[in-house]
Amino acid sequence: MSATTTPRGVRTTAGARTGGPTFGRVVASEWTKLTSLRSPWWTGLVTVVAAGALAFMFATASSVDPGFEPTRDLATGLMLAQVGPLVLGVLLGAGEFRTGAARTTFTLVPRRWPVLAAQTVVVAGFALGLAVLTVAATVVGVLPSAVSRDLPLRLTVGDTPGILAGMVLLVVGVTLVGYALGTLLRRTVPALVTALGVVLVLPIVLAMAGDPGGGTMGAAPPHSVTALGTIGAFTPGTAGQLLTTPASYGPMPGMPDVGPVGGGLVLGAWIVLLLTVAAVRLRTRDVR
Amino acid sequence: MIEVEALTKRYGSTTAVDGLTFTARPGTVTGFLGPNGAGKSTTMRVVVGLERATAGTTRVDGRRYADLPAPLHAVGVMLDARSVHPGRTASKHLLAMAQTHGIGKARVREVIAQTGLEPVAHRRAGTFSLGMGQRLGIAGALLGDPQTLVLDEPVNGLDPDGVLWVRRLVRELAAEGRTVLLSSHLMHELALCADRVVIIGRGRLLADATVQDIVERSERAGAVRVRTTDPEPLARELLALGAQVVPQEGGVLQVRGTSVDEVGTAARRCGATVLELAAESGTLEEAYLQLTGDAVEYRTADTRGGAR
Repeated sequence: MSATTTPRGVRTTAGARTGGPTFGRVVASEWTKLTSLRSPWWTGLVTVVAAGALAFMFATASSVDPGFEPTRDLATGLMLAQVGPLVLGVLLGAGEFRTGAARTTFTLVPRRWPVLAAQTVVVAGFALGLAVLTVAATVVGVLPSAVSRDLPLRLTVGDTPGILAGMVLLVVGVTLVGYALGTLLRRTVPALVTALGVVLVLPIVLAMAGDPGGGTMGAAPPHSVTALGTIGAFTPGTAGQLLTTPASYGPMPGMPDVGPVGGGLVLGAWIVLLLTVAAVRLRTRDVR
Repeated sequence: MIEVEALTKRYGSTTAVDGLTFTARPGTVTGFLGPNGAGKSTTMRVVVGLERATAGTTRVDGRRYADLPAPLHAVGVMLDARSVHPGRTASKHLLAMAQTHGIGKARVREVIAQTGLEPVAHRRAGTFSLGMGQRLGIAGALLGDPQTLVLDEPVNGLDPDGVLWVRRLVRELAAEGRTVLLSSHLMHELALCADRVVIIGRGRLLADATVQDIVERSERAGAVRVRTTDPEPLARELLALGAQVVPQEGGVLQVRGTSVDEVGTAARRCGATVLELAAESGTLEEAYLQLTGDAVEYRTADTRGGAR
C-alpha cells in the first residue's frame, strides 16, 4: 500500500459509511440542537420564576379571605406565565428558519417530515421537564400563605391532582402551539404576535363578548350558552384554561360545559391541526 | 457527479434560472461563475433539494437529491456562512449534523482540526468572522467524507492563507476522484483552481469550457504587454499577424488581438529578446465582464456604489 507516499488530507477515519438519517438519529440531533442554545434555558428559567412569583402573589392576596384554600390559586398565575413556554415554542420553531439553520437541517434530511416529527418530540420532552419544574414552583409559591394561615397543602385530594396534571399538560401544549406556529410562519415576530393573539388576547375578547351577563346577583342565573362563548371555548387559550379548571367549578359564562378533558382535547386538536398545516407547508414550500 | 438539465426556477414573475444545462464530473473542479444575482446560489439550492425546480431536473449520482439514502455521505454542501444558528457553538453545530447520519464525535474533532477551527470550536457561531464562518461551512461539507462537494463562494472573506488552503483542498479532493462544484464571482479565482468553468448570467448559460479555453479567449480579447530590446522588428512581426500594436516608452509594446503564447513565438521568430511578457492584469476579468456584460443585472447599482 502506498499510504505513506500519498499524503491525503481528507480521507482518514471518515472512510466508514454510517448510513443515512433514521428517526432516532434525527431525534438525537435535534436534542443536541435544542440543548446547545441558550434561549430555551433562559426562557425556561424565567417561566419557572414567574410562575412561582405569580402563585405567591395570588395566594398572598387571597389568603385574607375567610374561605381561603391554598390549592385554588395554583393555576391562576399560569394564565400569565404560559407566555414563557409559548415564546419558547415560537423561538424554537421560527429560529430554525430565521437564522438559516434550516438550510443545513433540510440538506441533511431532505425528506423533511422526519425533522418535524423529531423536533415535536424533542420540544415536547423539553417542555415536559419545564412543566414539572413550573408546577413545582407554583406549589412552592403558595406554601408561605398556607403556612401563615396554618392550612395544610393537600396536593393529593379532591380536584388538586387534576389541576396539577392539567397545568403540566397546559405548559407542554402551549409550547407545542408556539412551536407549530413558529415552524408554520417561519418568522419570529409574526409567529409571536399570532401566538399571543390566539392564546392570550382572543380568549379574553371572546369571553367578554360572549358573556350573556344578566346581572342577577345572588340568585344564580340559569347557564345560557352564547354563540361567541361557544367560539371562545374552542380557542387554544380558553381550551388551555379549561384544562386547569376542575369540572366542579362549572362552565365559564356563556360557554358550553366541556370540562377539563374537553379543554385538553380541544387544545390537542389545535396542536395536531397546526402541525399538520406546518407539515404540508414544509413539504411544498422552498427553504430559502 | 452533478447533472443539471434544462433547469428553470422562477419566483413569481422573476426568472432566477432559465433553461440551464451543465454537468460537473468526477475528478474535476467545476467552477461556477457569474455576477451577483446570476442564479448560482439558486441553482445550488435546487441541486441540494432546498428549492423545487419550476422546470427541468437536477441529479446527483444519477438520483434526485431527496432520494439519496445518506445525503451527508453523498454530497458535502456549503451554501452560505449563515446556515448555522448564531447561538450554537461550532462543535455543537457539527455534532448535530453528524448525529443525523450516526457519525461519531471523533470525525467531528477531525474536521475541526482539518479546517483550523480548534481555537474557536467552543465559541458561538454568531461571534465568528466571515472567514471563520466559511471554515465552519467547509468543515460541515467534509463531515460525511462525500464523493461530491457543492461549495458556494468558499473563498469569500477568507484571509490569503485561507484562500490558498481552499485552492489546495479542492484540487486535492478532485485528485481523489471527487466531484467539486465551486461557485465564485471572481474569474481569476477560478482560473487558479478549476478545470472547467460554467459561466452564467441572468440565469442563462453563457459559456461551458475548460479554463484553458477561457484563458486563451480572454487573452485574445485583452491586451498583452511585452518589453523587449528590439520593439521595432517585433511590432512588424505582430502587425503581420493581424494584431494591433501600441508602442510605449522603454521598449514596451501593448498588443491586442493576440495571446501571450503568440507574442512569445513571434519574438523568437524575429530574434527579439523578451525582457517581460504578460497578459495585462485584469484582462481575464475583462473578458469575463465582456461575456457577462449584458447579463449584469445590478450594473447601475454597482457603479453607483449600490447595495449589491
